[in-house]
Amino acid sequence: MKKFLAKRLSGRHSSLWASFLAIILTLITASALLLIMGKNPLVAFQSFLQGCGFLPKANYGGGSGMLSDLFDFLNYLAPLMLAALAFIAGFKTGLFNIGISGQMLISGFLATVLVGYNKELSAVVAKPLVILIGILAGGLVGALVGFLKFRFNIHEVVSTIMINYIISYLTGFFINNNFVNIMTRTSNVCSPASRLTWTNVQIGGVNCKVPLGIVIAVLIAFVVKFLFDKTSFGFELKAVGLNAQCAKYFGVGVGKSIVFSMAISGALAGLAGVTYYLGYTNTIIPKTLVGMGYDSISVALLGNSSPIGAIFASVIVCIFQQGANYMSSRVGVAKEIASLITGIMLLYASCGNYMKMIANSYLRKEMDKSSDRKEEER
Amino acid sequence: MEKVFTDGLSFALPLLIMAVGAIYSEKSGVTNLAVEGFQGVGAFVGALIAILLIPLMGNGNQAIIYIAMLAAAIGAGLYACLHALLCIKFHADQVISGVVINILAVALTTFFTSAANTAITGTASNKFILGVSNRFTVPGLSKIPWIGGLFTNMYPFEIIIIVLVIFFWYLMNKTRYGMSLKACGENPQAVDAAGGDVEKTRWIAVIISGALSGIGGMCFAYSLLANFSPSIYQGYGYLAIAAMIFGNWNIGSTALVCLIFGLAKSGGYQLCIAMKLPSNYSDLFLMLPYVLTMLLLIFFSKKNHPPKAAGQPWDKGKR
Repeated sequence: MKKFLAKRLSGRHSSLWASFLAIILTLITASALLLIMGKNPLVAFQSFLQGCGFLPKANYGGGSGMLSDLFDFLNYLAPLMLAALAFIAGFKTGLFNIGISGQMLISGFLATVLVGYNKELSAVVAKPLVILIGILAGGLVGALVGFLKFRFNIHEVVSTIMINYIISYLTGFFINNNFVNIMTRTSNVCSPASRLTWTNVQIGGVNCKVPLGIVIAVLIAFVVKFLFDKTSFGFELKAVGLNAQCAKYFGVGVGKSIVFSMAISGALAGLAGVTYYLGYTNTIIPKTLVGMGYDSISVALLGNSSPIGAIFASVIVCIFQQGANYMSSRVGVAKEIASLITGIMLLYASCGNYMKMIANSYLRKEMDKSSDRKEEER
Repeated sequence: MEKVFTDGLSFALPLLIMAVGAIYSEKSGVTNLAVEGFQGVGAFVGALIAILLIPLMGNGNQAIIYIAMLAAAIGAGLYACLHALLCIKFHADQVISGVVINILAVALTTFFTSAANTAITGTASNKFILGVSNRFTVPGLSKIPWIGGLFTNMYPFEIIIIVLVIFFWYLMNKTRYGMSLKACGENPQAVDAAGGDVEKTRWIAVIISGALSGIGGMCFAYSLLANFSPSIYQGYGYLAIAAMIFGNWNIGSTALVCLIFGLAKSGGYQLCIAMKLPSNYSDLFLMLPYVLTMLLLIFFSKKNHPPKAAGQPWDKGKR
């Protein structure tokens, strides 16, 4: 068993196995936690899946079914996947964009105010405009962070956090002053024409919310993969991430790369923002940053910061986040456990390199042992 | 005007103790972005102990505050071991580790607050109600015009923090341990060659960092918020890191920066009240410390000198 794992962790698909191991360890830890609380982990995991529409629930409300749960899942999956891709785009250049929540909020806010409240625009104009505003707003914030990093040497983790709170208070102020719905204490809903999710679509006799965002998200994943794997620009960005000094020596503009990489990261975060605020929720809670910005880091690390890996990793994280409500009502565990599970998964995923390191040194020792034995036999 | 100084100081000192913690960790060569998580976990452990003690010792018993503060230091110190394990033993990227610690802290404390509330009180609330610590006024000094506000309505923990900061300043700058700690952050190979134990020094530094951040978090829970809830994660840990950066990893100058932050925050708030603006506008003033941080970072980030070896895992074979 030990040898099998060690071989897998040092072989060709070592990263894949490290992620796989992280998931298994997370499930074990979560099961232990649930057992301590006196709940049946199998029932809990089953209800996570049921809440996401992967398994049928015992009963459904009128007009909804398994398919509507599945589409709700896709609605949440789209911004999560985009946010993870945003993180990956920065991470490849060695930048740690933890301001994704703030970039999502500012682009969602601007798109809501500029397009969502404009009742005259038709869907054909409004939807592309929303996407464009999302990309621009997020991209500009990202570029600012990159500029601050390269020009003034401000660590992006500190600057993005500061910008997060500035955006949160600023948009909260405008929403509370101008756009608040007195009943719900959130911002007014946007027009259906601008929303990136079609509501009340009848599929197979049940009501579904069909997200446009999931198509964009999967497309973007392949675009990001192409950018980093096949273009010289992407190669330069990666080179800066691996060794900035070396990249500079070979004539790569390090400052330019940092600004561009953060701008791409911010633009994707902005895209995630509009699919979240103008798709999944359709309204903004003032002064609240979504946890998705942090979940996206778990997804990216679990997916081994590869765009295609992120597609699969986001599905796994999304199952816990989206299924938590149903699990909570059925098993009686607070739904915050979803974030806890995501956090634990992040912890294990970040130990991936260490796992590979032990595996390698274990194999080396085994090899030494067997060669010693051979020599003795001789 | 006096209130600006009173509130400013009570915000600046918890920030300072967290910044001192961060300085310890970074000076020993471990990048510490985990302050936010440490302070949250510290406040959680302290608040949990306080909630358990209130029925035993009576509500309003001030001794609970000190026990809670000790518990916060121990709890956050233990939690900091996780950061030390990832950074020192596992050689993980220290920035990633810091962020992991923060995210995990939010998830852990939020979940266990509601779990503990269900177990203790039977209601699924995400808050531990603590109340506010008593205050006292220094006679004589508080009569000084202008800065008298610094000595009015003080929290007892402010004295504790000042004593601790002076002690840890002494420990870092005047003792053998402090010297070897600073050397670990500048040139760990030299420490190793001189017979010092780099890993052990760093472990101790990170644990101190956690304990001090935990105390800072507990102070926020007992002063600003009067409870423990997820709203303790307001980015104050990151403000402390920013203060450390302007302070150029020097405890004295960091103290000054923290005071500026505190005064900016309380000054903005009092300005909002003095101008009789509607309550919505307070959001704009709450934004001030963060904007100020950004501006200060722009002006001062270029010139400072972070510890040379911060961020690099210690590898004995490397030269």
